[in-house]
Amino acid sequence: MTTTSALFLDHENLVPLLEELAKTLEVVAPVYAEGEPVFATWKGEALALDADNPLNSPVEFFLPQKEVLFKYVQYSGRYTFQEEPPKSRLILGMRPCDLQAIKVLDEIFGTELPDHPYASKRMSTIIVVLNCTSPGEGCFCASMGSGPVVEEGFDLLLTDVGPGYLVESGSPAGMFILRAQSHHFEEALPEHLKEKERLLDLAEEEITKRRPALTPEQIREAIDETDWEEVERRCLRCGGCSLICPVCHCFSVMDRGVPDGERLRCRDSCVLSGFSRMTSGANPRASLGERLRHWYLDKFVYIPEKTGMLGCVGCGRCSRVCLSEIDRWSILREAIE
Amino acid sequence: MMHKDLKAEKSERRRLQASRSASNRLSRYVPLQAEVIDIDVESSNTYLISLRPLDEEDETVRLEYCPGQFLMVSVFGLGECPISIASTPTRDPLQICVREAGKITQGIMASRVGDVMGIRGPFGNGFPVEKMKGRNVVITGGGSGFATLRSLINYIADNREKFQDVTVAYGARTPHDLYFTSEYGSWQAAGIEVGITVDMMDASWKGNVGLVTSLLKDINPAPGTAALCGPPMMINAVAKDLVNRGFLEPDIYISLERHMKCGIGKCEHCTMGPYHVCTEGPIFSYDVVGDLL
Repeated sequence: MTTTSALFLDHENLVPLLEELAKTLEVVAPVYAEGEPVFATWKGEALALDADNPLNSPVEFFLPQKEVLFKYVQYSGRYTFQEEPPKSRLILGMRPCDLQAIKVLDEIFGTELPDHPYASKRMSTIIVVLNCTSPGEGCFCASMGSGPVVEEGFDLLLTDVGPGYLVESGSPAGMFILRAQSHHFEEALPEHLKEKERLLDLAEEEITKRRPALTPEQIREAIDETDWEEVERRCLRCGGCSLICPVCHCFSVMDRGVPDGERLRCRDSCVLSGFSRMTSGANPRASLGERLRHWYLDKFVYIPEKTGMLGCVGCGRCSRVCLSEIDRWSILREAIE
Repeated sequence: MMHKDLKAEKSERRRLQASRSASNRLSRYVPLQAEVIDIDVESSNTYLISLRPLDEEDETVRLEYCPGQFLMVSVFGLGECPISIASTPTRDPLQICVREAGKITQGIMASRVGDVMGIRGPFGNGFPVEKMKGRNVVITGGGSGFATLRSLINYIADNREKFQDVTVAYGARTPHDLYFTSEYGSWQAAGIEVGITVDMMDASWKGNVGLVTSLLKDINPAPGTAALCGPPMMINAVAKDLVNRGFLEPDIYISLERHMKCGIGKCEHCTMGPYHVCTEGPIFSYDVVGDLL
């Protein structure tokens, strides 16, 4: 290993560091809600960094379930519009799979015709990724090429190497934090780096063993082979799989308030029957089976065509929240077996 | 003298910069306001509304658009929906044709002259008019889809010498559902052949009765390019008919209608297979969308 800017953060020093950062930034971190890890604004409570990847994805802080696009105020027949500036934020403990989801969303929301509400939040957020050394039950990031190893896209990267975290910087913003808060850090030792490699190799082996990778051709074949009417019968049409997915970004727009009020955007799901239905009543994807098929096609065919990246990062949340316990990955696997 | 010009130029530049930074400040989701300056009743449930887009100082803004594009029109408190532009960029004012369908269109139609509504856009690709120039053009539509075709027809009428034979074949349910009846004469005067048909006639009707495809049989247009908009069944039938007449699939342009929320390819409501109808459409050639219709 040549000279590296890697540092070491003792477990003891994490909370004091966060407390200092929280003076100027909103710190978002995994905490417990009724025993379940969730991403939320950190207010000094116990951190859930050792638990599985939180139930909700950190993408909610870029594309919230509900947000105000702008406020409209009427005065003598004319309107003025106000947008709220984004908060300065730091997200701690984002996993490599969710970081990959943000890379996909950056491509969709940030390049052609940028989506200002997303882009402005993205610009004002510092991302601290936590390497996944003990993958969860339903995870399949390795099969989707989105983890567990991450090389870029973060501001800071933490790896739990036993007595503390190995900390690597991936951006000027990350470097700035390391310098400004240098009193919390020590020089990393070569064995910390070696331990990181060892843990990630183990994790990758573990995930791949449980859920081997599928090639794009196999996935395409699986989508064609799947009996969507069968899946339709099992699906309870709640849309939870889309609302919880870090890559799904369907939304609806609605107004609240007359004559003054706000225009809101809320996450939506292409699985729901009203999603593509027009006011005339005509619906281009009338059956649930077609809509479920579209959900897969978008993730595994259309998004890759547009962004060069898969629309699934293997976080497994869709299967975790499914009321009917439909395992999204197993559907594909079983279809080609 | 020169000094004065420089000064004027400087203040103009400052004004432009100010308006640009103002537009940078607000996102694409924040609409412009447009004042209703005229309302024409096209049918019992359809109005043609003329608009004057406004800037922050209440001055008129000229919207650059081409035939076939659409606007996201909003009534604050009710919401926003996609509406085709019915006017041609070659004439003022900007017009939208709105048929009563849901609460937002009802809200738009409840506006009076002097009221403002929100507009965003123009969005979508529009008809490829440059590819249509120098060729025969058949414009075929049914129902409310005729609004977007009217933009193209008037555009062609204003640039008539740039096109070969131009034919319009338009069908509506009843004579009362026909739009823009006062303009057919001006189209004919511009050298455009106009065929009209209705599904159901009444005592006052002396014209054709039947489907648009039967109208095409009478007109027998020579192959060239075609612009279509209407119910999917009609579009399919007409497109097949035109292919049988020797039209090439890539020359048949179809304007599609979809549920939309953003207009900029993000919300995913309008997706059709791999395409976003709002940004990659709403005009597609038949070879691209024939299988997806």
